[in-house]
Order: sequence, then C-alpha cells, then structure tokens
Amino acid sequence: MRYAAKSGSRFLRRFWRGLREWCGDAAYETYLRSKSTQSSSGRALSPAEFYVEQLNRRYSKPNRCC
Amino acid sequence: MNRIFRVAGWMVLGTLGAGALGAIALHRGEPLNATWFVVAAVCCYLVAYRLYSAFVAAKILALDDTRATPCERHDDGRDFVPTNKWVLFGHHFAAIAGPGPLVGPTLAAQFGYLPGTLWLIAGAAFAGCVQDFVILFCSIRRDGKSIGQMAREEVSERGGFIAQLAVLAIMTILLAVIGLVVVNALKSSPWATFTLAMTIPIALLLGLYLRFVRPGRVLEASIMGVALVLFVVVAGQWVADSPSWSRVFTLGGVALAFAIIAYGFAASALPVWLLLAPRDYLSAFIKAGAIFSLAAGILFVRPQVLMPPLTRFIDGTGPVFAGKIFPFCFITIACGAISGFHSLISSGTTPKMILRESHARFIGYGAMLLESFVGVMAMVAACAMPPGVYFAINSPPSIVGSTPEAVSATMSGWGYTLAPQTMPALAHSVGELTLYNRAGGAPSLAVGMAQIFSSTIGGERLLSIWYHFAIMFEALFILTVLDAGTRVGRFMVQDLGGRFWKPFGRTGWMPGVLVSSAIIVALWGYFLYQGVVDPLGGINSLWPLFGISNQLLAAVALVVATTILMKMGRLRWIWVTLLPMAWLVTITMTASYQKIFDVNPRIGFLANAKALAAQVAAGKIPAEKIAETQRLIFNQRLDAAVTGVLAAMILVLIVEALVDWYAILSRRKESVLHESPYVATRWAADFSGAAHGDD
Repeated sequence: MRYAAKSGSRFLRRFWRGLREWCGDAAYETYLRSKSTQSSSGRALSPAEFYVEQLNRRYSKPNRCC
Repeated sequence: MNRIFRVAGWMVLGTLGAGALGAIALHRGEPLNATWFVVAAVCCYLVAYRLYSAFVAAKILALDDTRATPCERHDDGRDFVPTNKWVLFGHHFAAIAGPGPLVGPTLAAQFGYLPGTLWLIAGAAFAGCVQDFVILFCSIRRDGKSIGQMAREEVSERGGFIAQLAVLAIMTILLAVIGLVVVNALKSSPWATFTLAMTIPIALLLGLYLRFVRPGRVLEASIMGVALVLFVVVAGQWVADSPSWSRVFTLGGVALAFAIIAYGFAASALPVWLLLAPRDYLSAFIKAGAIFSLAAGILFVRPQVLMPPLTRFIDGTGPVFAGKIFPFCFITIACGAISGFHSLISSGTTPKMILRESHARFIGYGAMLLESFVGVMAMVAACAMPPGVYFAINSPPSIVGSTPEAVSATMSGWGYTLAPQTMPALAHSVGELTLYNRAGGAPSLAVGMAQIFSSTIGGERLLSIWYHFAIMFEALFILTVLDAGTRVGRFMVQDLGGRFWKPFGRTGWMPGVLVSSAIIVALWGYFLYQGVVDPLGGINSLWPLFGISNQLLAAVALVVATTILMKMGRLRWIWVTLLPMAWLVTITMTASYQKIFDVNPRIGFLANAKALAAQVAAGKIPAEKIAETQRLIFNQRLDAAVTGVLAAMILVLIVEALVDWYAILSRRKESVLHESPYVATRWAADFSGAAHGDD
C-alpha cells in the first residue's frame, strides 16, 4: 500500500513537472539552471525580459502546423 | 521463454489489427461499429512502430546514442534545451497537430469511410511518419538546421530556394483555406461568433497578466483563461437568445472574412506577448483536452458508422469537392497521412531539444502516428452521422438546392434518406439558425463530436453546448495557426524585402512591420475572399490547392531525405523514402494537371473560367453580375497559374535531384555529407533532461 502511494506520488510529481515544462511554465527556471552551468559572465535576464525574448524567438519561425 | 511470449504477443496484435482492418474493408450491409476503426488503427500503429520504425532506426539511420545531440553541444537554456522525451513528444505533437487531420478526413468522408481510413493508416506508417522521423534525424545531425538549409547544402542552391518558395506558397494557401473553414463555421451563428470574438479580450487579459503581473507563469494563466473560455461558450447561448445582441453577432461570410483578415494583421503587427502567445496557450490546452475527450468519447459511446464504405462520389461528382478518388482522396486527407509542413517542425525546434538520437524514433515517428489517429477519429465522427445530414451540411446550395424540400429531394436522388424537417430540427437542437451550406468540415465535425460528447455527458439537453464547444475548439486553434502563420509569413516577407532594401529586413522597424504584415495578409486574404464569394463553395477550389502545396512540400522533404540517405551509402534501403516520394509526386502532378486542364468546370480551373466566359458572351449573365463574373473568371485563371507554378517547382526540384543522384552514383561528383562532426556525449545513460534532473 505504502509502495503504491509512493509510486503514485512520484508519478504525479513527474507529471506536474512535465506539464510545467511542456507549457513553458518552467522555461525561466531551465534558463537560470543552464546559465549557472555556463562560463559566460553576462547578466541573467529578469523573468519578464526572458519571457518576452523567448516569445519573440519562438514565434519568428514556424511553430504551429496545419 | 520471454522472447517467445513477446513474439506471440506481437503476432496476436498483428492478427487482431489485420482482422479489424479486414472487417472495415469487407463489411457490407449493416452499419459498422466505430470500435473496429479504433482497434484496426491502434494495432496497425503499434505493429508499424515496433517493426517498421525499428527497422528504419537500426538499419537505415543507425541512431547513435553515444553521439552528443545539438542541445548538449550548444545548451543555451533558450533554443537548445535538453528536454525529457515525453515532454518533447508533447511539444512536437502540439506543434504538428493542426486543423488538417480534422478537416481533411471529414471532407474525404464524401468518398465513404474506407479509402480515407486506409490511406490515413497506411500513409502515416509508410510515408508521413518516415518523413518526420528521417528529417528529424537529418536535422539533429546538422545542429538543428532547417529543411531549406539542408536542401541548399545537400541537394543544390536552387533546391533550397524552391523549398523556401514552397514554404511561402503553402503558408499563403493554408492560411486562406483555414480562414475559410472558420468563416463557414461562424457565418450566421451569433453564438459561435460571440464565443470566438470573446477569446480575443481573454487572450489580451492573459497577455497583460503574463507580461506585467506574473511574468512567464503560463500554467496558472492558462487555467484562468480556459475557465473564462468555457464560461463564454455557455454565455454565447444568452447572446444568441437576445434579439439585439444576436443581431450584432450575426455576420455574413464577407464580413467575417474581413474580420479575420483584420485579426491576422493585428496579431502579426502587435507585440507577440500581447495577443498571439496567450491565444496559443489557450489553444494548446483546449486542443489537448478536446482530442483526448473525443478519443474517450468514441471508446465510451462506440457509435455506429452510418456512412457506406464507398459512396457513388468516387466517380468524381462529389458535392463537397469535385474529383475522382485518385488523386483527390490523397490530396484531401493531407496532414493526417503525410504533411510537408511537419518537416518545418522536425527541422525547427524539436531537433534542438532532443536528448538522444534514439528519441527521434519515438518523437518523429510516434507523434505522427498519434496525429494519424486524430485523423481516424475525425473520420469516425464524420461518418457516424447519417450520410444525408453529412452531405446537407457540406454541400453548396448550387448543387443540393436551397430549401429543405429541395435538399431532401437531392439526397433521396443520391440514395440517402433525409426528411425535410431533419436539418432544421438538428440546427435547432445545436442552437444554430441553419446547418445548410456549411462546407469546410468544421460544422459537420462539430455535429459529430457534439453527438458523441452528449451521448457521454448531458444527453440531448447539452447538445447545443457541446456543439459550440466543438466549434470554439476548432476555430480557436485554427486561428492560432492563422496568426502564428501570418507572423512567420511576415518575417519571410521582411527577409525577402531586406535583400533589396536593408531597413525593410529589420524586424523591429515599425514601417517594415506594418508593410510586411499588410503584404502577407493581403496575399492570403485575397484567396480567402475569393473562396467566400465562390458560388461553388470555395472549399472546392482552395482545399485541393492546399493539399497540392502541402504534398509538394512533403515531396521536397523526401527529396532531401533520399539525397542524404544516398550520400550516407544506404542505397540498398533508399526505397524507404524514394517510394513515398514517387507516390507523392504522382498524386501531386496528377491532381495539378486535373485542376488546371480537366474539361469538367467543377474540377478544371481553366474549364470553369471558359464556361463562365461563354455565359458572359452569350448574354446569360445579368448586367449587374457581369463585373462579379469577370472577377470569378480572373480568380479561376489565377488558381490555375498558382497550381501550374507549384507543379513546375516540383518538376524543377525532381530534375535537379535526379541530376545530382546520377552524378553521385556515377562518381562524377564527390558525395559530401554536411553532418556536424562526431562529439561523444558526456551525459550518463540515464540522464533525462535539465528540468527533470535524475529522478
């Protein structure tokens, strides 16, 4: 029973993370994590700056199909 | 022992799929249950994935998980982001699944359920999935390069240019035709028009929230947005019931076309965070929810398929669109079996986010199988309604008549039962003024979906709510494709213009933004307007044109894939991409020829122009209609010219590729692959993505 509850909660945690990643909710966290592992010294963008910059890039090439 | 069980399991699955497919193909007489379609499709997909995609992955592409993918080599947290394969599958599927697999099969149902269903399953397994998978692989091996760049490098400069032109052509025609589908879904429907109009202020609200209140908090904003959208679906009924508000939102085809054109311009010129992106978030959630609900509804209700396997319209006299089963069934199904547009996604965002080469099989091949399944569900939804109702909704009045009695008489002449009071009663029960003359696939699909949903929850009482939910779902994500496509088209126009005058190419320069937005909107807006005023219904001309351009782009992608396989030394297995390519070229060229030169005015553009010109010359057109008829004649000739240019482009590319292949095979030209150099991965075998850590 405890094993099932543990597996269930792990599945839900993973699902929640996956959902946040899928819809872009976790994009800023991913960016900060990536930034921290890079050696470049540039300033990290603020959440609002990153959000606008990311959207401008994403919607400048085909990203929705017929 | 385990191996024996596994093999036996796959044999049982294969036999089950073959049996279900046989039942669909050979069944005659009594209506067939939709469960057969689901079983046949799922078993065939599983077998194709397990065997054919594994064969392509191992023997032809030789996927190598020791090789670092672009996201490992260039990880920047923006474009190149290591992503868990399930999440990336969701991303990729959300990007490739548009209105095509819903509308195409619904229109192709006029031939009966059999040809469309077989092509959806076989076309996806042997052509569409292979194209997506191989192009994704090629792009991964080239740092995420686009199909245009790969065509330029691997085939020729001209090949790259043709790919770019094909993208612009498909974009223009696609945007026009999906705009027309929305017009036909919303015209004379205050409920649906109100609901869709309200999604604009909702999106603006979300845009401001995500920009200034909680930047980037997409999930919470989307939940609020979806709740508001569901509320306006219900509120639409109050608007439809109010005489004064109902008048405001009851619009004709031309007014709706101009409203959509104005919307496309605004979405392209306004900042992307304000309108376009929040609508996309709403659309993605509602799309995922509606597709899964439809699948669950079909499994739960298990509706009877009332459409016969083959109808009399395989002879080319169909009322929805004219043309024989070959090639028009394949052209019409389009994205549910193979879509050239997918090659833009497979060589766009996805290769930059993929963790391992082996994930390309699951994401490239697997996501396309799921899209094909969406097409099969759309086919079931369309065929589950009585054929008389299906044809009454999708046929123009010039063919079936304009009164309930005339439509019923036409239907009984075709062998389908439709009482004169059936359609008005159905329209009333879904909360519409009329369901006649609503070609485009969206309303008939919405009726089918509403019947399935209401059989699950709410019964007859909620039929109108479910119908308008389905219309909102279709129109919402069609408009998302329309605004995102217009914006991308604007960038292409700016890129092209920037070659002649540098300031025009600057994406932040407002005059350039406005002019380029106006150009791209004018391009598709013209075709949309032409479709709206076309007495044959618009879909008859524009959907085949869209199908041709889409399959043309698929042929371009398969030419690139074949060339790369040849350069990789996989000559023995070249048929994997060569045969689908040859098939696509055959259907595209046949359809192009027939659309230009066929003597039947409903099929051939030139024959139609000639027939109209003869009517003008014979004085059969009233004086006040002459200018309009002249415009129709011009439009038919323009459509013929566009089809001719598309066909010429594919011919040039094929000749170019053949010359290149001959030179490579006869060793007159050195076979140079433009792959990125091998770099060994530093990630552990169980690494599953940046945001997912190690658990």
